Amino acid sequence: MFESLQHLINGFGIATTIHNLLYCLIGAIVGTLIGVLPGIGPIAGIALLIPATFGLNPTSAIIMLAGIYYGAMYGGSTTSILLNVPGETASVITCIDGYQMAQKGRAGPALAICAIGSFIAGTIGIFGLVFLAPPLAEAALAFGPPEYFSLMVFGFIVLSNVTGTSLTKSLMMAVIGLIIGTIGLDPVTGDARFTFGSISLLGGIEFVAVAIGLFGIGEVLVNVDQPSEMLEQHVFVPRLRELYPTLQDLKKSIGPILRGTGIGFGVGLVPGPAPVIATYASYMTERRISKHPEEFGKGAIEGVAGPESANNAACQSAFIPLFVLGIPFAPPTAILLGALLIHGVSPGPMLIGQHPELFWGVIASMYIGNFILLILNLPFVPLFANILRIPKKILLPLVILFCITGMYTVNNSIFDIWMMLLFGGLGFLMRKWAYEGAPLLLALVLGPKLEVAFRQSLMISHGDFGVFVNRPISMVFLLATAIFLVIPLIRMVLKKQRKEVS
Amino acid sequence: MALSSLLLLQLFFKRRQTIVKKGTVVEPSGSTKQLIFFFGTMVLVTLFFNRLGFPLSSFLLMLTLLRILGVKRWTFNLPLSFMTAIVCYFLFVQWLKIPLPKGWVGL
Repeated sequence: MFESLQHLINGFGIATTIHNLLYCLIGAIVGTLIGVLPGIGPIAGIALLIPATFGLNPTSAIIMLAGIYYGAMYGGSTTSILLNVPGETASVITCIDGYQMAQKGRAGPALAICAIGSFIAGTIGIFGLVFLAPPLAEAALAFGPPEYFSLMVFGFIVLSNVTGTSLTKSLMMAVIGLIIGTIGLDPVTGDARFTFGSISLLGGIEFVAVAIGLFGIGEVLVNVDQPSEMLEQHVFVPRLRELYPTLQDLKKSIGPILRGTGIGFGVGLVPGPAPVIATYASYMTERRISKHPEEFGKGAIEGVAGPESANNAACQSAFIPLFVLGIPFAPPTAILLGALLIHGVSPGPMLIGQHPELFWGVIASMYIGNFILLILNLPFVPLFANILRIPKKILLPLVILFCITGMYTVNNSIFDIWMMLLFGGLGFLMRKWAYEGAPLLLALVLGPKLEVAFRQSLMISHGDFGVFVNRPISMVFLLATAIFLVIPLIRMVLKKQRKEVS
Repeated sequence: MALSSLLLLQLFFKRRQTIVKKGTVVEPSGSTKQLIFFFGTMVLVTLFFNRLGFPLSSFLLMLTLLRILGVKRWTFNLPLSFMTAIVCYFLFVQWLKIPLPKGWVGL
């Protein structure tokens, strides 16, 4: 424990260099902007800015990209409260009570509580990260290829179970992601697979192209498809002196903030779109334990404080599986994994030992980033709210321009832009027919790792599939996977029986 | 940030002007047609990206997309696209030193 603190202090030394402070600030500002602007979320945002980090050392790069991720969580709440339009999926819940508060003229306190709650949750979340990650990394050293394989399978199934409305659709997307992931050079033998003689395909499909396509271009196209009257909305812009919450507001909020933090942190550790689930779980909890459940939906401050804290805590704890296991459980951390790999850092149990400056530097920067975001969000909320006044018909072409430019920059290749457009079109159709992009993206990033783990396991066991069930840790993961697959089936059968009875 | 503040300024003046006209014209958008044109423009720009070069492609892309989305006034549309192209050129090519295609403009 003291060792962790010692490392953390060293981390602060790294994070407080002018250079890194600047990138932390840029990350926080860009993140808030991305969170505020509907039509572009943290996934496309991080992917777009990866090329901008090519000249940086890995630590500064990840400091900035991580800043975008948690910064977007802060910014997302602004549009929910002022416009009733969630900036990203994790702030859908905030719309319910946040917008009601704004309509009652209490937009200021709602925004302030969001910022304060996010700050408290973020800071506590990082504490958890500091003290949980090193021992978990040590435990993860016992993991061999079979354990990694089973863990990834578990991750896929849980993610598919909790995203979207239909398990079948999500699994289809995951399988498509796995298939796309096999394009390119075979990771074990080096043979070309499914390249059809094309040199551009030898390196595989660029995951940045898929991320920007599905989550950036796809989202823009969905917006273009809407009738234009939808693009104009009334914005509440709070004045600065209206911002401060009353003492009563704070008293009411402190419980939800702490509970939200706990819920968020726990949810962030398991596979799935953690911030989204965390907000739902926190909202439900607050409503259940509240003495005035009827106030929820009509502007209860608890309904804003809890979920907003939860999504920030989940955001921090989602870094644990990424740093400790090298396995991201949600799309934004999957993009961060891609960024780490581009910079030549391969996360896993050895990361903390091999790149202590990166691990502790990034963690220390999160403290600083949260503080910057608190300062940035409280007095400057009116400014960010003004950005919402940029009409979408100007914003959307700008997003497209940045997507195309950003995509070209990754490999200086027109082929990547084509891929991005292809996945953009696909993303639009998927959105229209309610298919989730998250499992596809995650499967694409994890697919090659999954394959390598699978083949290495079979090499160790000389082709015996028993290796996955004979090792206890691996078997636990596979059992859990089986349970997650069977539960929906049982539920379906029960529903049918109930219908037949009635 | 500079770009957004510029946009804000322009928007502010634009709002002033449009407030008077509001309430009279609400045109229904043929959204599918709009979508096809929008995507088509992106495909065309990608097709000629190398030949046109980055500054010119970004200018044309902005101009066309803005028009498709209903920003029809040339006095607003042209300067906005031009400014965006210039700002992006200085940001990406001059400041960040990203090797973007020069095309026959040669910038």
